[in-house]
Amino acid sequence: MKSEPSTLPSYQPSTLPSPHLFDETFLHKLERLSILSRRAMAGQLQGERRSPKRGQSVEFADFRPYSPGDDFRRIDWNAYARLERFFLKLFVEEEDLTVHLLVDTSRSMDWGQPNKLWYAVRAAGALGYIALASLDRVTVSAFSQQIGETFPPHRGKQQAMALFAFLQELAPQADTDLKAALRNYANTATNPGPLLLVSDLLDDGWREGLTALAARGFEATVLHLLSPDEVNPPLTGDLKLLDVETNRPVEITADYDLLARYRQELTNWQDELRAFCGGRGMNYVAVTTDVPFEELIFSFLRRRGVLR
Amino acid sequence: MSFLLPTAFTLTALIPIIIAFYFLKLRREEQWVSSVYLWRRAIRDVEANAPWQRLRRNLLLFLQIAFLLALILALARPFHWVQGAAGQNVILILDTSASMAATDVAPSRLEMAKTRALELIEGLPDNARVTVIAASDEAQVLISAAQDRGEIRTAIHSAVVTNAGSDLTAALTLVAAIAARQPDTEIIILSDGAVTLPQTGLPARVSFIPIGTNDNNQAIGALSLREEGGGQALSAFVQVINYGRETVQRRLDLLADGTAVNAYELELKPGAVRTIVAEDLPPTAQVIEARLAGSDALSLDDHAWAVCRRHETTAVTLVSPGNLFLETGLSLLPGLQLTTIKPADFDLTTQPPNHLTTQPPNLTILDRYVPLTATLPVGNLLFIAPVRSTAFFSVTGTIAEPQPRPVSADEPLLRHVSLADVSIMEAVRIPLPDWARLVVWGEGEENSVPLLFVGEVDRRRVAVLTFDLLKSDLPLQVAFPLLLANLMDYLAPGTGGDLPVQLAPGEPLALSVPPGVEEIIVEGPDGMRTRLVPEDGQAVYGNTPGLGVYRISWQGEEAETREALVAVNLFNPGESAIAPREELPLPGMEVGTTASTAPEQARREWWRPLVAIALFVFTAEWLVYHRSALAQIAGWIKANLPAFHPPNLS
Repeated sequence: MKSEPSTLPSYQPSTLPSPHLFDETFLHKLERLSILSRRAMAGQLQGERRSPKRGQSVEFADFRPYSPGDDFRRIDWNAYARLERFFLKLFVEEEDLTVHLLVDTSRSMDWGQPNKLWYAVRAAGALGYIALASLDRVTVSAFSQQIGETFPPHRGKQQAMALFAFLQELAPQADTDLKAALRNYANTATNPGPLLLVSDLLDDGWREGLTALAARGFEATVLHLLSPDEVNPPLTGDLKLLDVETNRPVEITADYDLLARYRQELTNWQDELRAFCGGRGMNYVAVTTDVPFEELIFSFLRRRGVLR
Repeated sequence: MSFLLPTAFTLTALIPIIIAFYFLKLRREEQWVSSVYLWRRAIRDVEANAPWQRLRRNLLLFLQIAFLLALILALARPFHWVQGAAGQNVILILDTSASMAATDVAPSRLEMAKTRALELIEGLPDNARVTVIAASDEAQVLISAAQDRGEIRTAIHSAVVTNAGSDLTAALTLVAAIAARQPDTEIIILSDGAVTLPQTGLPARVSFIPIGTNDNNQAIGALSLREEGGGQALSAFVQVINYGRETVQRRLDLLADGTAVNAYELELKPGAVRTIVAEDLPPTAQVIEARLAGSDALSLDDHAWAVCRRHETTAVTLVSPGNLFLETGLSLLPGLQLTTIKPADFDLTTQPPNHLTTQPPNLTILDRYVPLTATLPVGNLLFIAPVRSTAFFSVTGTIAEPQPRPVSADEPLLRHVSLADVSIMEAVRIPLPDWARLVVWGEGEENSVPLLFVGEVDRRRVAVLTFDLLKSDLPLQVAFPLLLANLMDYLAPGTGGDLPVQLAPGEPLALSVPPGVEEIIVEGPDGMRTRLVPEDGQAVYGNTPGLGVYRISWQGEEAETREALVAVNLFNPGESAIAPREELPLPGMEVGTTASTAPEQARREWWRPLVAIALFVFTAEWLVYHRSALAQIAGWIKANLPAFHPPNLS
């Protein structure tokens, strides 16, 4: 059927509900957590994370034969005394990690009660704070069709306020194009590390986008955020559904069959996502915004091995 | 099929409006969603079979149009013609006489008539008022001017066959009165036609629905017993009549007190009346039952009963200077053992001593004589023209030529007695004692005197006839033996002598018992016992509709049980002749129309099932409209019902 011009008032983005992302006590609680990294990754500066590099920590890593040009201060003289050959004693390097936070700011995120974007911003804020508190570098990027505003890598707890301010400024932007945005990010990011993608993934391009992130070596956690009315649509009757991003109409007769099929489709999709992520070493966490935020942080993410 | 209100079809113009609304409604309600991504995935399969989906989407439209069509059809009031009544006031007369028990139409004629009546009720206009009258020999209104079909059906079902004859006079008189009040009255008679009809016309349309198909019936038309040889032998007279049109073989069984004593194979030609005299029946038998073995359409008249009542003799002492009329009259009455004594020979001491104890009480008739002693004979007394005062009354003189006048028309002592032509020359003047009941008074020239009074005094019955029979022409009249018989019934009761041995069904039974009897038990053929309390030794049992033998018993003076039997038989040729009549020659019936046999065409309307269909469709539409919510409720119930956990056996 030909789609009629919409008679609904055009979609108005909502304003984020609270000026403060977190209160003091919550931040204190967050400080006890840290982001779990399963692999050692190279960082930029001295930090507290194991790096694949050899360096100057107190933790012994390996020996290797001396080759000219090596710093002879690191020769193991005890080994020389026994073997009369020079060996360098190598130590594990401890560097910082760059924690990447990717927040979907497409218009579809500005939806639901509680608001998905607000929830996503808080999730990014909480993880960002945890990372800053454990001397990791944090970078935040908002994306919709493309990578949008970016919070460049910052380190140190004193950057937390700047991070929160950046997150609070995020506004719903445009349509989702996961494929383009994530590929772009994967290609341009330096220092791949733990990555938290907060998105509703309501776009066909999720497959390619996630593949690109995995291929670049990010240790990604996909926080799949849906609002309760997306899980159980409170719809009845003959409806013309309009997509807030694209204005694309879909005509449905919301009877029991269709709603059941919708829920089945949603379950299938989430299963597909879980399998996809599992196959690529990604963490997949599906959550609805009616899950209390503290439960997400202190229970969900810890159980999934994202936080410790 | 035709329509009462075809203009209702103009309402079909609403159908395009519904369709138009539907198209308008197809502008779906718009709603923002965060993304149609999942929705597109969800409806992907659905769109594959889109035509069916479109149909399904239009299901509501189809249901709504179907609802409207059913409603319009109902409003148009379609009907078809059926045979039935069409009037606004319908009076159904159901014949409930004995012949309606015939089973030539299954299960019986009355049931058939009821079925036809119910069919007629179905075809009636909705606001028709129906009166149902059950008519046998009397009319019984089962329901009057009712509109409630349920009540009418109940009333029709409540009609039962009586054993009475069929006389529609009462019913039609009643109907005529009703019809005169109500215009547009239609009278429908459901009967086999074996009825008595009034000769007056009816102010209404009368239809007759004949019930019954054949006339195969044989009946026992009469059964009576005779004692012969002073109670040494008993013979029965039986009459068997074939009312059918075919020669039949029937066997007549005679049973004495339930034991078969005789059987006769009878070949009965059409219309034949066979008379059988069965002799040498057991003389001690109380009940003789005649039974026609085999079957015919009407079984009620295949049975007959006769009771043999042995008259106990009452000792009657007639003290008279000589009265031929009286002696002759008394000697003709059964059950009396008459002793005639001249006044000169009368001595109280010569009375048989057993007079003091025998039952029934003996009777002494003192004709123009009163003993000089102050003592009167024991037992009941009949004084005829007493010559002097006694302890019971005073004689104060005479009166010349009183004109006898009965006190009451329904005086049992004057049953069948006409005193109009009786002349009396002289009567004794006796003031009416306070114990007495005046039966006949004499109108004299100056004042009136009692001529006959009766009463109970000193636990005995006393009757006083104040005139000399020989000084009147009463003995020469028919009234004399009747009056004498009545007086003997009164003064020598308890023999059952006044009880008829046979009654027609429904005929009341007048009982007369000795004074002092406190209750009478009547046991019907169905074993039901009825207790009657006699007043003045009289009681009436009016409930004899059932055929068979009624057993009447009471306690005598000496606490012994006395018993009398009465047989109730359907000796009714009018009911036994069950040949159905096709027409009813009723004066008011429209001549030359077939209405006499078939009721006119009536409209049977069809709007009820249509409204039911409309309601059904409406409900379906509602369910379809809310199917999603209903399924959700169902799902919720399923999910929230406590799951069954099998016990852990390990």
